[in-house]
Amino acid sequence: MTGFAQALLLGILIGGVYALMASGLTLVFGVMNVINVAQGAFLIFSALVTWEVWSTTGVDPIALSLVTTPMMFLLGWVVYRLFVRRVLDAPPSATVLLTFGIALVLEGVMGLVTRNVFHSVTPGYERTSFYLGPLFLPKAYVYTFAVAVVVLSLLYVLLTHTWTGRAIRAASQNLPSAQLVGVGASSVAAMTFAIGTATTGVGGSLLAVLFTFFPASHYVWISRLLGVIVLGGMGSLPGAVLGSLILGVAEAMTSTYVSPRWATVVFYIVILVVLLFKPSGLLGRPVREDVVAA
Amino acid sequence: MRAVSPGRVGARLDPGRAAAALLLVALAVFPLLARGDTYHQNVLFSAFLLAVEALGWNIVSGFAGYVSLGQSAFLGVGAYTAGLLAIHLGVSPLLLAPLGGVAAALLALVVGSVVMRARGHAFVIITIALVLILQVTGLNLTSITGGSNGVTLPIPGWDPALGNLPFYYAMFALMVLSLGLCAWVRRTKFGTGLLAIRADENKAAAIGIRTNVYKTLAFIASGALVGVAGGVYAYFLTFIDPRGMFDILVSVSILLAAMIGGRGTVWGPLIGAFIVQILTEATNVWANGSQARLILFGGLLMATVLFVPQGLLPAAARLLERRRTRGRAVEATSHAVVTRPIEVSRIVRTIDTDDGEDLLVGKGLTKRFGRLVAVDRCDVTVRQGTITGLIGPNGSGKTTLFNLLTGMLVADEGTVHLAGTRIDGLPPWRRAHLGLGRTWQTTRLFDDMTVLDNVVAPLSRFRWRTLAASAVAGHEAERARELLAFVGMADLAGVRAGHLSFGQRKLVELAQVLMTQPRLILLDEPAGGVNPALVERIAGLVRSLNERGVTFLIVEHNMPLVLELCDPVVVLASGRTIAAGTPETIQRDPVVLDAYLGEDPSTMHDEAPV
Repeated sequence: MTGFAQALLLGILIGGVYALMASGLTLVFGVMNVINVAQGAFLIFSALVTWEVWSTTGVDPIALSLVTTPMMFLLGWVVYRLFVRRVLDAPPSATVLLTFGIALVLEGVMGLVTRNVFHSVTPGYERTSFYLGPLFLPKAYVYTFAVAVVVLSLLYVLLTHTWTGRAIRAASQNLPSAQLVGVGASSVAAMTFAIGTATTGVGGSLLAVLFTFFPASHYVWISRLLGVIVLGGMGSLPGAVLGSLILGVAEAMTSTYVSPRWATVVFYIVILVVLLFKPSGLLGRPVREDVVAA
Repeated sequence: MRAVSPGRVGARLDPGRAAAALLLVALAVFPLLARGDTYHQNVLFSAFLLAVEALGWNIVSGFAGYVSLGQSAFLGVGAYTAGLLAIHLGVSPLLLAPLGGVAAALLALVVGSVVMRARGHAFVIITIALVLILQVTGLNLTSITGGSNGVTLPIPGWDPALGNLPFYYAMFALMVLSLGLCAWVRRTKFGTGLLAIRADENKAAAIGIRTNVYKTLAFIASGALVGVAGGVYAYFLTFIDPRGMFDILVSVSILLAAMIGGRGTVWGPLIGAFIVQILTEATNVWANGSQARLILFGGLLMATVLFVPQGLLPAAARLLERRRTRGRAVEATSHAVVTRPIEVSRIVRTIDTDDGEDLLVGKGLTKRFGRLVAVDRCDVTVRQGTITGLIGPNGSGKTTLFNLLTGMLVADEGTVHLAGTRIDGLPPWRRAHLGLGRTWQTTRLFDDMTVLDNVVAPLSRFRWRTLAASAVAGHEAERARELLAFVGMADLAGVRAGHLSFGQRKLVELAQVLMTQPRLILLDEPAGGVNPALVERIAGLVRSLNERGVTFLIVEHNMPLVLELCDPVVVLASGRTIAAGTPETIQRDPVVLDAYLGEDPSTMHDEAPV
């Protein structure tokens, strides 16, 4: 029983961090119908920068998200302007392939620069825990969860209480109408992509504290994030949160009761099953195309 | 690189064919001339392997348009099947390689029959997940796959003097087979069906193409030879491990090769495979290894998507075509519609069922989109031999009703019967086979195909051997030409459908529908957006077809035309049938006037139409 409660707790804590990482992916899909497969590589990139700065200066890795977030925002904006913008009208698979290409280039560059070894960031609190009766809460999990909740809340406020946020939501619901009332589609898309990428800034810094990683880890991460947003409903922010919590717990349970080696399979299977049988996910809007009988 | 000579663009050019044959012969004799040059033999072996994979990819992703990043799954399954069996049975893996193909085909059958339901993004992502699942599973099932340690195969048993020649020729043969398969598929009904699915899957289903079977078969065809190649490859390496075999990067290089060369062409993937393989070798030689290859592949993928999404071969072909037809393209499309009367009796055989019987009956049909009820407990009946009109204000649900009747959408409630057979649970292609045809308000032709190919594409039933039949041949081609003559479009048979004007497209779509001899044709705004002369013409065609027994259900906003052509007329408002009767009664019906002109206080009632 303790084992179960422990797994549940860890699953929820890690799920909160997944939710933050997935929020950017689902936001970008919701607004511009683009699945940014490079999101995983962006995460690893931010984690690597965090590692680099932490290991040379000793600055707290979680605090470094204040640096990595604007950095990734800028990177997202540039990537959108240079590449993504040009394929928005192409068939949907084109954007998947384009961002896959970006991920590969980034993976290669990171491999060249870091000599392709495993990294992990180990601040002083890394091996200590809070205790709650028989349960333990690793401090790194608690801190990163707290940061994820704060950032997600900020994102929510940004989307609901600012003009930019309302423009983004309007564009995600009905782009032509949003354009008619003065929302510039191109600038909203650039802003969305930049914000979506910025979430990988803080996400990557948190990742660096929680996991070991190396450049090719981005495949695992993009699979996790895709699993999350596919389950929650692509384009839905509450769906991403729900999907993250469910999959965080499912992963922790699999690690506890089956084997950590099988834990990632959970995500792949979720992707397969949900996309095949309920493509709209838990909280997604039904997709007209999929209503059609084939 | 000698593999790419611009002269080989388009298989029709004879110099092209000669160059192609020359290339194959050169590759066949190369190891005999350069004996002992194992380095170049091995580079070519890898290029052949990539070509087999890329040509396979081409069938499901190039022809059918379902972009797959899961092709390395077939390679891995083939490699493991042949490799493990060889170890247990003590037989040469080369002999067991065909079993690898069988295993890959089975995988494609099982996975394809479910996975092909997903479209667009979803399909790409599922195929990525497939490879990753197989890799993790392979790594974890240590007892079978050796886990990350892999499995070592026996070294080849043949005379060492032969070197890698048996591998070279085995893979070369597989490449030629793959090339043949691609070329053959392209020429058959099966291939045309796949192209139709790529262009417009719903339309393909509506003209009787059994899309699910086509797609699954395409997936199998794309995997089977790759599975065989996997067996050969495993033996060549004498080592297999899950990371190397179920490698997403291999999938990427396959997709790259096919896309660079030109997806959907026959030679493009082969040419692309040689380009990608040579570039890979270059990174190995000059840039030392895997990081450089990642950057190269990633960069190439981005560049291809951004700058030559069609691939090099089609880009070159288009350039040539433009040079050749400069000034003539205009001439072809500016042709006025030419009338060349052809007896309607040649077009439709008389349908001899009793006029007046109910042919199509929809009862209680309901379709909701979220909270919007587009069609609301709607009843509609079309009697045999009539030209029934379907009118109603914008947004009254006419097109949605069409979609429910033809199976483009599945109704939430209600039934549809065609000539007594219940059809509401049937997919669109089955309904087409039962004699239901339709056109679209905006017309949906396969723009990249010629007018003639468009008209030949529909199928009036599903037979396995039809799949292998030539796409355009014999009796069918003749019938298609007659149909084009009937609608007055015979002169444009060879023009690409994308070049036609809107009115011409309407006529071609009508000819296309007629191909399968439907008993009932649903026309969605046949007169919308075309000039008055053409409206007259279309009306004339409809009348003459009707005289031969073809029944029509027509959505139309052109009231004079409806009143003149249709009897009875059904009126739809807010998703419901509010009136039906002769044009005269409809014209005088206050409820109908209401629906069109708004509330008349004298006829106020509860169900106010929008």
